[in-house]
Amino acid sequence: MPSLKDIKTQINSVGSTKKITSAMKMVAASKLRRSQEKAEAARPYSSRLEEMLSSLASSAASGEGIIKLLTGTGNDQNYIVVPVSADRGLCGGFNSSINRETFKLVKSLEGNGKKVQLMPVGKKSRDFFNRVMKDQIIESFVDLNVSSTGYESALNISNKLQELYFEGKFDKCILVFNKFKSAISQEVTQQQLIPLDVSNSEKEEEKENSSNAIYDYEPDEETILKDLLPKNVSIQIFKVLLESDAGEQGARMAAMDNATRNAGEMIDSLTLKYNRTRQAFITKELIEIISGAESI
Amino acid sequence: MATISFDLVSPENLIFNDDVGTIIVPGKDGDLGVLPGHSQVMSSLRPGRVMVYSEDKNLVKSFFVSGGFAEINPEKCIVLAESVVELNSLDKSSIEKEIEELGSKESKESEEQLLIAKAKLEAITVSFYDKI
Repeated sequence: MPSLKDIKTQINSVGSTKKITSAMKMVAASKLRRSQEKAEAARPYSSRLEEMLSSLASSAASGEGIIKLLTGTGNDQNYIVVPVSADRGLCGGFNSSINRETFKLVKSLEGNGKKVQLMPVGKKSRDFFNRVMKDQIIESFVDLNVSSTGYESALNISNKLQELYFEGKFDKCILVFNKFKSAISQEVTQQQLIPLDVSNSEKEEEKENSSNAIYDYEPDEETILKDLLPKNVSIQIFKVLLESDAGEQGARMAAMDNATRNAGEMIDSLTLKYNRTRQAFITKELIEIISGAESI
Repeated sequence: MATISFDLVSPENLIFNDDVGTIIVPGKDGDLGVLPGHSQVMSSLRPGRVMVYSEDKNLVKSFFVSGGFAEINPEKCIVLAESVVELNSLDKSSIEKEIEELGSKESKESEEQLLIAKAKLEAITVSFYDKI
């Protein structure tokens, strides 16, 4: 049976853990609000860009150079997979679900005879894939801090990807990231980044207004498309980074909330145990005194 | 006199959104003056000034954009720009320093940045379009 002092130390240590987790929860909650605002602020740009792109996409039947971002290389042998995780842990299953999903995707692609390379974003997925698939990592990006550095961070990734793409290093690029659904739930999502998948947005636009397509293009459609496509890659990455950032804070908030609650429960049961032990101790001493007095 | 709704959007946020009288945007092939009822145009932009005027032709705001796109229709003008700064927050000496630094480097990226920085310098030194 543990002594009173042991239990007391245990209560104290759980108590300080609780303080830490509840502080982390508060921090995550306020960061979440900021990340959400950022994600919201980025929305008008990306939706506009998508609209423009889908109205232009039809004009690019086939092509060389930059247009290949839209039409593809005509192959699908080499893949590059970009898992987007957080830089820090203590956020529940946030990082591990990304890693697991990516791992599964890579294995299934390889099962179909494709060649897969990895470009992890975020420390947690870099470290994971450094352990399990080290020789497939082509590049990694860590310490992005998208909420403070903003668009620049997405530009770096996008430039690197496009550089590799035009060197013919890969044919398809797939992003794996946590989509922000609500403050407490994220959904692991796969998104094909290159070549661009316009089928969804195109349909929507057709529904909205089919008459809106009579634009004058300056200088001409192709030039605009050539400018637009690389930007679109960057903005898609930016959007994903922001979503993932908001998701991370949400996941951390939920995880820390849980931890705080668990610590509270633990303190309660330990306190009960402490009181019982103390009571038992007093009773024992009383019995000793009484039986001592009786024997005299 | 009619107004046209104008949105200036950067990847990070919506910078300007209001009804205005006239806008001048730096199109790739030359500046575009946009008035209410402009025909539908989609244009890519070069680095330069975006000038916003009120209905009675007074300059309301001026921005520097490093490139982007403009979508114009009779009621609305939307400018998507990658980086946007307000013109009067730019500082001439710091840009000159930047140009000097970039000039000494030799890479494709810094060349592009140099072009933008030069356009920036031009944007704050010239004064046409201040009054229309």
